[in-house]
Amino acid sequence: MPKNAWGRSLTEKVSFALSLFIVGIIVALVCYLWITGDTNPPILSVTTSQIRQVNQEYYVPFTVTNSGGETANAVEIVGELAIAQEVETGMQQIDFLSRQETRSGEFIFSRDPQQGELTVRVASYQQP
Amino acid sequence: MNNRHQSLNDRRASGDDWQGEIQEIISGASGGFLFGIPLLYTMEVWFIGAYIQPPILLSILAVTFIVVLLINRIEGFRPQESKTLPGAIAETFETLAVGIVCSTLMLIILRRIDLQTSLIEALGQVIFESVPFSFGVAFSRSLLSGNPGIDLDENKPSNSSPSSRNPKSIVWRDTIADFSATLIGALFIAFSIAPTDEINMLAASASALELLAIMVASLLISYGIVFASEITNYQQRRQQSGLFQTPQSETVISYIVSLFVGMMMLWFFQKISVSDPWFLWLRYGIILGLPASVGGAAGRLAV
Repeated sequence: MPKNAWGRSLTEKVSFALSLFIVGIIVALVCYLWITGDTNPPILSVTTSQIRQVNQEYYVPFTVTNSGGETANAVEIVGELAIAQEVETGMQQIDFLSRQETRSGEFIFSRDPQQGELTVRVASYQQP
Repeated sequence: MNNRHQSLNDRRASGDDWQGEIQEIISGASGGFLFGIPLLYTMEVWFIGAYIQPPILLSILAVTFIVVLLINRIEGFRPQESKTLPGAIAETFETLAVGIVCSTLMLIILRRIDLQTSLIEALGQVIFESVPFSFGVAFSRSLLSGNPGIDLDENKPSNSSPSSRNPKSIVWRDTIADFSATLIGALFIAFSIAPTDEINMLAASASALELLAIMVASLLISYGIVFASEITNYQQRRQQSGLFQTPQSETVISYIVSLFVGMMMLWFFQKISVSDPWFLWLRYGIILGLPASVGGAAGRLAV
């Protein structure tokens, strides 16, 4: 297979085509994000799921999602468990939460959350 | 070496050399790893994608493209220089693609990109990390050729005619030379990364399977840097004596040396103590072993 007029062999042309495809995909994705860019402030929501009990402690899994347009920095999640006028508090911080990004973690309480009132909420965030 | 370049060019001129093409790309990727790995262990770059805007990402891609194009006009990862502008542009696309693929793979192996990572964050990380990888690919021939070492060795009669020396002393001399080179190279990289918090963060999120993947990546990259590169002093290294004489054994022994150096550096900087459990040593060691083995491979190139 001789080189063509452009001075590239078939193998090099295949490499070039693949490379063009890879770089093109990256550029296209960035352009897509740019065009569909959402400049709305972050909208942060947190949900909890199935509580598990380990060694007399109760693990409460949570998932926090940013459904807004901009990134939230230093997202603070607070978990409070109130049982018989006693309140147990836990706090978590997530460095960065981009738009449409989801992060998970767990709060740990010494008493059963099902016996009291559990509140898990996003308390604050910073603009990056 | 010039003869080897000539033969490579001859084979490539026939246009049917897939093996040569793959070797060139592996060689380029090895240069990319050599240049790009340190930035991979930088926390700030992991987060940069979270707040960077798409126009800035495009600008970074454009600037990288121009810089790599300028490098390719005089250097480039292909032995046959891109004398024409279209040729240099094509090589620049290839350089960026190799850089993007390598950095993406490493970010996935180190779990900086997973299914939970948003698209913009992943793109930001990939584009930023691909900058040093692409520069490394473009400079791979300079980074990997070890020209000064070859020239010096070629001028030494003792090296050009190993059979005239005592074989036993050659074995030990070469073994010690390889061992020292790996030690110094691994130390050079591990020393600057060991005291950082990145090691703790990466170790915290790594599962056993991921640690195995990091080990495999360390071995493959180390092997690629020293041996799989057609345009380095490969043949000379294959002929070298010593306990490191085969590519496989050299890679494995060097990796063990790099792991040991990594662990010692972590202990030196009080990241792990003697009272810590063995698996913590292993976990941290494997994480730091990746850049350390790359440093070790770079060190052996200089021998």
